Amino acid sequence: MSDTMPSLTDRIAALPGCDKTLARVLFGSALLALLLGLGFGWLTALGRAGVTGFEPLLAARLLTLHGVTVFFYWLYLAQAALLLVLAGAEQNCGGLALRPLAWVGCVLMLAGFAVSEISSIIGTPLLYDGGPALGRDDPAAVGWFSLGYLLLGAGLAVSSVSVIATVLSRPNSGTSEPLSAVGFALFAWAGFLIVSAIASVNAFLPSVLWALGLGAFPANQPTEWHILFHNLHYLPLMATVVVWYVLVQALTGVSSMHGSRFSKIVFASYLLFVPPTSLYHMFLEPNLAEGVRVVGSLLSLFVAVPTVMAFLIIVSSLEAHGRSHSSSGGFSWVRALPWKNPVMSAIACSALNLALGMTFAFVLIQEKVAPLLSDTFFVPGYFHFFAVGTVSLSFLAAMMVVLPALTGTLPWRPSLLNRMPALISVGLLIFGAAGIAAGFVGVPRRTFDISYGGDAPALWHTLMSAVGIGGTVFAIGLTVLVIGVARSLFQKIGDVTNQQPEVSWGNTPARASAAAWVGPLGVLVMVLAMAVFTVVAFELMNALPLIVIGGSGGHSH
Amino acid sequence: MSENRHFTTRRSFITGMGFGAVGLYGVWAAYGAAPLPFSTHHEGLHDGHGEPAEAVGHEGMVHGARLGMTPETFRREHAAFVDKFKRPDGSVEPGPQAAIAHDMSNHLMMGDDTATHDMSDHGMGPHEMSHMSHDSGTDQPVDLYLLAFMWGYNPDTLRLRTGVRYRLRMMADDITHGASLQLGTASRIIRLRPDIVSEQIITFTKPGNVLIYCTVYCGPGHDRMQGKIIVTGSEPGGQS
Repeated sequence: MSDTMPSLTDRIAALPGCDKTLARVLFGSALLALLLGLGFGWLTALGRAGVTGFEPLLAARLLTLHGVTVFFYWLYLAQAALLLVLAGAEQNCGGLALRPLAWVGCVLMLAGFAVSEISSIIGTPLLYDGGPALGRDDPAAVGWFSLGYLLLGAGLAVSSVSVIATVLSRPNSGTSEPLSAVGFALFAWAGFLIVSAIASVNAFLPSVLWALGLGAFPANQPTEWHILFHNLHYLPLMATVVVWYVLVQALTGVSSMHGSRFSKIVFASYLLFVPPTSLYHMFLEPNLAEGVRVVGSLLSLFVAVPTVMAFLIIVSSLEAHGRSHSSSGGFSWVRALPWKNPVMSAIACSALNLALGMTFAFVLIQEKVAPLLSDTFFVPGYFHFFAVGTVSLSFLAAMMVVLPALTGTLPWRPSLLNRMPALISVGLLIFGAAGIAAGFVGVPRRTFDISYGGDAPALWHTLMSAVGIGGTVFAIGLTVLVIGVARSLFQKIGDVTNQQPEVSWGNTPARASAAAWVGPLGVLVMVLAMAVFTVVAFELMNALPLIVIGGSGGHSH
Repeated sequence: MSENRHFTTRRSFITGMGFGAVGLYGVWAAYGAAPLPFSTHHEGLHDGHGEPAEAVGHEGMVHGARLGMTPETFRREHAAFVDKFKRPDGSVEPGPQAAIAHDMSNHLMMGDDTATHDMSDHGMGPHEMSHMSHDSGTDQPVDLYLLAFMWGYNPDTLRLRTGVRYRLRMMADDITHGASLQLGTASRIIRLRPDIVSEQIITFTKPGNVLIYCTVYCGPGHDRMQGKIIVTGSEPGGQS
């Protein structure tokens, strides 16, 4: 990005009014989805902790609503909003191209949100994957539920077309390059969304046709879901690193010291590394051949390459510039970062949570330990580090920059909001540690009453109580953060842009000799932790009083 | 210019570090869970307590799973299994003769009547054949059948012995279920898809009560879907 361009907040403030209105509608809907989903999730956590009991049908409904509202509508409405605003800002006052399409996309996504919520409330609870087998006796529930996701997918695809048209149609005139690194990242992100929207048609259209009596029972839905679901894991992660890239530049003035071409290659590599690594979701499938499992495990080792590289690009650029501006040596540059700004705290906590999430995700990609951990509470235990601690925190950090610029407000109580990322992370640590331990000892993932008539180990209840405590702590922190961010949508104070603490390290280039140790050391610690917990899993497997040979399946009809 | 930089800020270093997680392969290989390019044989993972999982080379088997049993055959064999070994208290305790019964049925299923010929050629009557696996020490696994349905298992209580190799065949009858074995420190999870027969050779090494529970949400009765395996010592009548 050119140094001559106005700041991100200035460019957002200069967006045309209709684009600002569209962004406010999308951001507001995303925050509403997050609050609703958080509420459903908190009730689920209390139920799992045994604090309160729910009828089985209500428990499944809460679980469905939690997954649908947070995983689909919060994460994807927020992505659409961020994509559109950042694309508009890339054009420096030009605003969105194909604006009507962006509005059509917004309407489709909000219609999907309403349909999904209502069908989850009144229909047979299908969990967030909408598996038709659970609704075989209630085709209407399957049909409406699937229609909600199709509308969301269509809306995302249409909005993404507007984003791509925006970043391609009026290349930023301040540089000799046709597309900045951020512009290219937005292009790749939008393209990935369109591909995923097509995958959602494969997964959910047959269910709608079956519900209408126009097609056969969608027996293949679980396989199509796995393909879609894998993309849905990595889209938010890709979005997160793009958000970090943009926010670090906004906060410190530092852009990549490695050149925009290198950043573009890394952003594009998501499309190379993510699709072939999807097999690890299917390791427990009885009809998956052993050779496919082995290949799936090996390929999965590469799934984090783009995310780790993007992290290193950002951190090494920041550190090299920080060291160049710091008079004292060592890691004093870290102290010089704008820690009183809640955006900085949120980015730092999200990076730590990402490392924790990756550590345990890499235990699960080994097919030999899948029978120990898949379908247990290990899975929600680790993925909340991603979903809440990494992606949600990063998106909220972006909104703390974007919304005040969009609406001309001052951020609400920044000193209070500044404490929330740490509080959320502490809650996540309790939730994650207890949940992962619960998974190691076999607590099932989606069972509310885990007493099994007194036959279950007593430890299960202790661990799930800790899950409830951790869930409550991070729910409190997240609620305060969401309310703080949402106030910028409604409370107009004046024509004031973000005045939070920042540093200006980007004005001068980094010293050539400046080192950048934080990123590599972080990666090293993470890989060591992966190895330690993988060893724990293998040792637990070996200690079981059971010798097992085989595990695949046979003939199917 | 890149050459003048500190090595930690070079693009090649960042690219290399990006592949850092691939280093986990070493741990996998150490546990025999990943193929080593320089290895002349594949060492199996200790897939459970004690002995490493053996490389299974039986005809028609893929890593211990026999391919080809149809859901209809499973249902028929399952019904015969429960009927034959059911005890008055409702639990099912298979004897070693289940193994030979299985082999016979497989031969007959395949239209291979040489099985009976082979044995009668050796002068064996039905009584001798029913005890062959037990007495001859051929180490044929004993067949077990477990059917998962909404919301339970059939049989819901199995009585097994330590040190005996069992061929556990499982299938879901309606929708996807799990059949997880709670083994004290951890569980062993098996996912069961409808009308797909899963098969594992299992050997319990310690006596105790093993909870079987469903790990895949399967409807409002999911939470109460459970069964039990009572594992006793290897001697008949052994204490748990």
